Amino acid sequence: MTVPAPVLPTTRDENWKHAPLRGIERLRWAPPTVLTQEAMLAATALLGSESPHGAIGARIVLVDGLSCPELARGTVAGAGFRAADSVKPPSEPTASIDLAFARLNLHHRQGELQIRVPDGETLEVEVVCIALACGHPALRIELGARASLRLFERHLGVTGALANLALSVQLGHGARLEHARLLQPADSARHFETLEAVVGADAHYRMIQVTSGAAATRSTALVALEGAGADLGWHTAVLGAGTQTHDAYVRVTHDAPAVRTEQGFRGIAADRSRIAFNGHMRVTARAPGAHSAQTLRGLTAGAAAEIDLRPQLEIDIDDVRASHGATIGKLDADMLFYLLSRGLDPATADSLLKWAFIADVIARLSDPAWRSRFEDALAPLLPGAHAARSLT
Amino acid sequence: MLEIKDLHARVGDRKVLDGISLQVPNGEVHAIMGPNGSGKSTLAYVLAGRPGYEVTGGSVLFRGQDLLALAPEERAQAGLFLGFQYPVEIPGVNNVYLLKAALNAARKHRGLPEVDAFEFLQLVRGKMKLMQMDEAFLSRGVNEGFSGGEKKRNEILQMLVLEPALALLDETDSGLDIDALKVVAQGVNTLRAPDRAIVLVTHYQRLLDHIRPDRVHVLARGRILRSGGPELALELEARGYDWLLAGETA
Repeated sequence: MTVPAPVLPTTRDENWKHAPLRGIERLRWAPPTVLTQEAMLAATALLGSESPHGAIGARIVLVDGLSCPELARGTVAGAGFRAADSVKPPSEPTASIDLAFARLNLHHRQGELQIRVPDGETLEVEVVCIALACGHPALRIELGARASLRLFERHLGVTGALANLALSVQLGHGARLEHARLLQPADSARHFETLEAVVGADAHYRMIQVTSGAAATRSTALVALEGAGADLGWHTAVLGAGTQTHDAYVRVTHDAPAVRTEQGFRGIAADRSRIAFNGHMRVTARAPGAHSAQTLRGLTAGAAAEIDLRPQLEIDIDDVRASHGATIGKLDADMLFYLLSRGLDPATADSLLKWAFIADVIARLSDPAWRSRFEDALAPLLPGAHAARSLT
Repeated sequence: MLEIKDLHARVGDRKVLDGISLQVPNGEVHAIMGPNGSGKSTLAYVLAGRPGYEVTGGSVLFRGQDLLALAPEERAQAGLFLGFQYPVEIPGVNNVYLLKAALNAARKHRGLPEVDAFEFLQLVRGKMKLMQMDEAFLSRGVNEGFSGGEKKRNEILQMLVLEPALALLDETDSGLDIDALKVVAQGVNTLRAPDRAIVLVTHYQRLLDHIRPDRVHVLARGRILRSGGPELALELEARGYDWLLAGETA
């Protein structure tokens, strides 16, 4: 497959104003072609031991976009890594600049992980993407009618690693996808990703994502609710620290009758970090009875921290219920004093309130063991969170 | 237990406390009464160390320590508890965690190990029973969605678990119906002990029908205008505050 190298966006492009694009033209985007023994050892170390909260179905591991069966656990019927040569390219990649990194992925990818859940079947699987040098992992998820998938997706990376993920989701009639995502690459890693999803009639897509690592991340998500009654829940939390930059653009197109979206965003920017979230809700004339609700909240926890939240509504029809709101503030002084007055030290009180700020995102996970995994992952960043879990 | 000498404080540019002196010995319950805006809540906040309440003069000794030199959390760890008039809601922080974290902070200050999880739950359940609170409150966010009365019960629950040396209860009776008032009063009374003191800040005599104070002080215009026994509260109930304020003016 020959796909020309795409033109990459700049911060002058619409929807890329806050993206961490400085110096991307100098990055080495070419991925390794094989996994060396050294890479295997590094990936094994990064993967760590099994979670004390138990395994999540089968596990599939990609290292720098390459399949790594040595680190897999169990087998998944209907899932497999297809080499790039055997993957049919998209009929005609759109020229939209929003898909520039998807095209870059297509140009460099060495294969695609495909997870297909046939009609009426149920599956639970964990996918771990590890970035050691540079990778263009590609993941295609297809759910048949009334199929159900619980997908736990983790992204890890070493210092200086570069990842550019392309994710494609297709949900058939009445399908259900619970998609938990944890992005925790090393502090100086860079992570770009593009998600394209099509949600069919009466299908439910529940996304719960937490980003708490990497020097820079950019997430582009384009979701189309194409079937009547399609239901989307999109809940993300971002914890920025140091000089990190986290930028996300999520466009949801409501394109069928009675479709629903509930979108929540929580961002905490500490130190000198920058967080941006652009939530674009489109309701077309083909979506009478659509319902869209957006709640975006930011917390600045550093003198030089920045948060930019942009809720956007674009509605082409009268018969629609849409609400949106965005607030940015600091930790509530009354809450902080209340906790201090109970003897909690300032660091714990601070962590606890930050934890509380993002807790409703994690609470959306249906499985307590999954919630525990998220809490474990965040414990080093929010020490109060770890203790909070011990009795709850 | 508590010795306040000539305490002056302001909030922003407004002088609120204008030379308060007060002693609360071990084992006693004192009631501080006064009209609206007299400085009662300010006194409670100043003692608890709330930011924005600036002490401009005077001293406060708590168990022989300079209370004003301590940070808010250090005051709490040293055994001071403030029951808030308007307890804040903290969604996302479970009651049970706050209780455990607060108890462990106090234990750590005393050089004790963290409380065992099983023992802690036994302790909390016992106190909740006393306060006639459903255990479901434990897993809810701190005061989240609680009624006014439930918030006050929750404050007393925290106090019972922490067993402070000095409890400052700021209008704990406000917003309570008569049954809830009895439950709250019962909770406070169980805490009475020779090595502990309680300061009740209140507008009304009715709380003192259920918690009998050893001393009653009238606070107005930022000063203690009069102190007396429990009979002073009855007199205030009968005559109001005007006669005291008039005497002060005269």
